[in-house]
Amino acid sequence: MSDTLRILLFFAALMTGGWIVYKIRKLQVKMQDAIFWVVFAVILFILGIFPQAGFWLTERLGIMSPANLIFLVIIFLLMEKVFTLSIIVSQLEEKISILSAEVALRSNAMEKRMEEVEKGAEKENKKNEKNRA
Amino acid sequence: MKLLIIIPAYNEGGSIERVVDNLIENYPLYDYVIINDGSTDDTRKICSRRGFNFMDLPVNTGLSGAIKSGMRYANYYGYDYVLQLDGDGQHDPRYIECMLEEMKKTGCDIVIGSRFKTEHKPFTSRMLGSKILTAAIWLTTRGRYIGDVTSGMRLFNKKMIKRFGYDMHYSPEPDTLAYLLNRGVKIREVQVQMQERIAGVSYLNLKSSVWYMIKMLFSILLFQWFRR
Repeated sequence: MSDTLRILLFFAALMTGGWIVYKIRKLQVKMQDAIFWVVFAVILFILGIFPQAGFWLTERLGIMSPANLIFLVIIFLLMEKVFTLSIIVSQLEEKISILSAEVALRSNAMEKRMEEVEKGAEKENKKNEKNRA
Repeated sequence: MKLLIIIPAYNEGGSIERVVDNLIENYPLYDYVIINDGSTDDTRKICSRRGFNFMDLPVNTGLSGAIKSGMRYANYYGYDYVLQLDGDGQHDPRYIECMLEEMKKTGCDIVIGSRFKTEHKPFTSRMLGSKILTAAIWLTTRGRYIGDVTSGMRLFNKKMIKRFGYDMHYSPEPDTLAYLLNRGVKIREVQVQMQERIAGVSYLNLKSSVWYMIKMLFSILLFQWFRR
């Protein structure tokens, strides 16, 4: 593993960690969603600081070079993230359609009730006028 | 003094009637609101048929979303205190009075109805998670002890209503308690008895409880030092 790659990994880890902390402070991400990025940053950090871990795993898995292992790990993690994000997006879309259906349904029901109330009030008024006359 | 009882209910059709009837009959001095959190059973029908005061969330938002809605309701109508009471009937409203007394006497901001304040229960596997979180809070708050961190029976004052209703990170969970303790907010516990739930299933099933513990531990041990 080249020193350039190690330095890159180290800074990538720091940037990821720092960025997610900043987003937490700005109330722009939920803490539970930040867990993934913290773990991600820690893995990059370990691979950058202790290349021995990379060498050991590379040998075990029969991969050509530690650099390939690093790409593989990052691709796996990002694949997992894309997969879960895609599922979450589906669920959010479903929630939005339910939400708009419910809002429409409820405002419709509310309008119908308002009309009924108005009709009732009109009848009442007419009755009162007749009585007065 | 105005106190609002918020009752988060997700599929509590089997028990909500009994819980609310008990409140209306025996505790008419407190206002209540049910937060129907997008239930898929007949919770909404029961509430509307019985004329209960309820907020009907169109989709399921989880416990913290339901509590957020309740806190906003309380803030909107200017309540001074909010008591969170589960819709499954495991919390007895007769403890509200002594929780309120404790809050007024000590001037604290949150009172937790605790199962293990003075009484020591035999250790069960269900308590393991709760004890781990107690230890995590003890560790990060320089030795402050909360016996029953996951208790769903909590009393909040006006200051807390604002924060829990409008702040993204304020979930009604143990991690927020740890954070608040470090911010000088006073939290006290009062011993209560809890019944087993009448019907329905808890928000926390076995599958999600591992994820719950991971979330809480990350939040208490790590994010607590960065969040606002």
